[in-house]
Amino acid sequence: MKTLSPARRGDVITGIAVTLVGTVYYIATFWIQETRNIITPATFPAIVGVALIVLGLFLAGQALYRSRKLAEVAPGGAAPAGGGIDGTTSACVNAEHGATSVDDASADPASGDERTGAVIDAPEEPKSKQVVLQFALFFVYLGILIPVGFLLSTAAFLMTMTSIYAPHRWVRNLIFSVLFSVVIYIAFVYGLAVYLPVGILG
Amino acid sequence: MDTLIDLGGGFASALEPLSLIFALLGVLLGTVVGVLPGIGPISAIAILIPVSFGMEPVHGLILLCGIYYGSMYGGSITATLIKTPGEIASAVTAIEGYEMARRGRGKAALATAAIGSFLAGTLAIIGLTFLSPVLVKLANVFGSTEYFLLMATALLLASTMSSGSRAKALISIFIGLAVGLVGLDFQTGLPRQTFGMSLLSDGIDFTIFAMALFAIPEAIRNLALGRGAKDEIQSFGNDRWMTKQDWQRSSMPWARGSVLGFFIGILPGVGPSLASFMSYIMEKRISKRKDEFGKGAIEGVAGPEAANNAGVGGAMIPLFSLGIPGSATTALLLFVFTMYGLQPGPLIFRDDSGLIWTIIASMYIGNVALIILNLPLVGLFVKLLKMPKEILFSSILVLVGIGAYAIEFSLFGLMLLGIFGVIGYLMDKGEIPLAPSILALVLVPLLEDNFRRMLQISGGSFMPLLTRPVSLSIVILMVLGIVGPVIFRWWVRRRQLLADVSVG
Repeated sequence: MKTLSPARRGDVITGIAVTLVGTVYYIATFWIQETRNIITPATFPAIVGVALIVLGLFLAGQALYRSRKLAEVAPGGAAPAGGGIDGTTSACVNAEHGATSVDDASADPASGDERTGAVIDAPEEPKSKQVVLQFALFFVYLGILIPVGFLLSTAAFLMTMTSIYAPHRWVRNLIFSVLFSVVIYIAFVYGLAVYLPVGILG
Repeated sequence: MDTLIDLGGGFASALEPLSLIFALLGVLLGTVVGVLPGIGPISAIAILIPVSFGMEPVHGLILLCGIYYGSMYGGSITATLIKTPGEIASAVTAIEGYEMARRGRGKAALATAAIGSFLAGTLAIIGLTFLSPVLVKLANVFGSTEYFLLMATALLLASTMSSGSRAKALISIFIGLAVGLVGLDFQTGLPRQTFGMSLLSDGIDFTIFAMALFAIPEAIRNLALGRGAKDEIQSFGNDRWMTKQDWQRSSMPWARGSVLGFFIGILPGVGPSLASFMSYIMEKRISKRKDEFGKGAIEGVAGPEAANNAGVGGAMIPLFSLGIPGSATTALLLFVFTMYGLQPGPLIFRDDSGLIWTIIASMYIGNVALIILNLPLVGLFVKLLKMPKEILFSSILVLVGIGAYAIEFSLFGLMLLGIFGVIGYLMDKGEIPLAPSILALVLVPLLEDNFRRMLQISGGSFMPLLTRPVSLSIVILMVLGIVGPVIFRWWVRRRQLLADVSVG
């Protein structure tokens, strides 16, 4: 695993996760009642489960195989400079791939931007801790939406989210949070007849 | 001739004040939402589906088609000015258009995108008008065998023709299928994959899944990034619009892009994004100014934007005449049709022909509205780019929350939204594309139903796949389309290897 670049390691993890999901999904088909149709209700779910297992294993295997091949190509310095070597080599692979698809552009749109030389930068990745926090707050909002009511919970949620991001602009945040909740409430309830939960205000 | 009469009738009702208002509103709303960074047509439609719940079917569909067009154009504004494509279709605009904007040619880039979109969009709708009735006639000989094959082809093409890893695109498709199979089996009424939860027996709502996958990961990612990640917005206060030379350089790419985009759009499972990429590659190859590409060549905006919008019209053909969506976005539209109790396909042209022709007519109107509204208003849309991220993305989280509530009216629906948001985020992180799973989710009931019917009719034999003339032709095309490129690539690589060996 030491020689794996982050991208390859990501593929191994993704592959294993997909395999696990496929396994659980496949096992769940055992609880589907048997029928005597040619295609039973369990046929399609079972195919999907098996396909996920196979694809997950394939993805992980491919990542491991490719990194092993790279280690053979560049023995020695692979461990400390693993990422760099892997990065450059995979760029070569991509370039070659792009070149082959010049005559076969239909098959691989991705190669288009590789050959242009002006690739869009990969988006910045946020810290996992922040992501978990944001998701947790979102789940809290979804959880209190019905019991507390739309107006209060939404104003509180928006205030929290905007204040984490821009604490010094709390006046603007407060005005936005209250105004947005009220406007949306009125628009949905009176304009579209979608009755939002009133909760403790009701 | 019948077609023209039908279309005339469509125009008569599409020009009624209320229909007209919804067409304009859709285009405007779509552009506004599409301009917001990180929100492409799929997210725009998914977020706005709940708005159409209480409407008359015809108005709701006119509105959402307008939103589709509008958000595509809005996306090209964002791509040009801050290099943030809302979806892959505008990724090439983010290269060439952004470079133009950096060189003070932003207005020309936006103009060539808008005019090209209008021309290509209109041509594609003309194609849709005249080709759909033909396809509807053909569809009358289609049985469950052919439908099953077409849907399987759509899914296969969606995986082989997506950008990036094919295995990952397939994983995305199977995730969509897995989600789509949860709930009661419609043939036997038996619960499947519900893990003992009776709440899951109604299945997982498509809109919740689409909103969760397309809006939540992007919103959470941006909110979690926090301050500091500021986009650089290109301004264009004193730029000139298109010059005479710009018109000359744009006209052929518009024409080529329109034709290319239209035919790619018709293919099942292949959306407009492939069309824009192919147009870009083609323009670059035939251009006399190859060195300008990557540095702001107007052809690289004109062609792909035209192809992109022609692809939308093309993708509507299999949706309207066969009921088979060609892409994630048309899958969303198919869902909206079924939400109103309508089933696109040959029957809708017979039973609800007034409705379908009104929608087609409104597409002509929407395209005109797009160009009338958007070029003069572009300054206003640009202001939206400056909207603070925390306000934008926390509002989006609230809107998808409302959407999920309006669908299920329960805590369970809200939690499903959150859980699929997490799943979408993880898929994104594993670089698994999200769009194929949306397509798969919509197609799985139809796929399974037609597969079962095919086997029931044949008594369990797969022979109808090969003995029916239409299905045999589809099988042959499918094999050529999928195996062809693979063999070709293998052959090219082998030749290269042999050449390397003989050189070395």
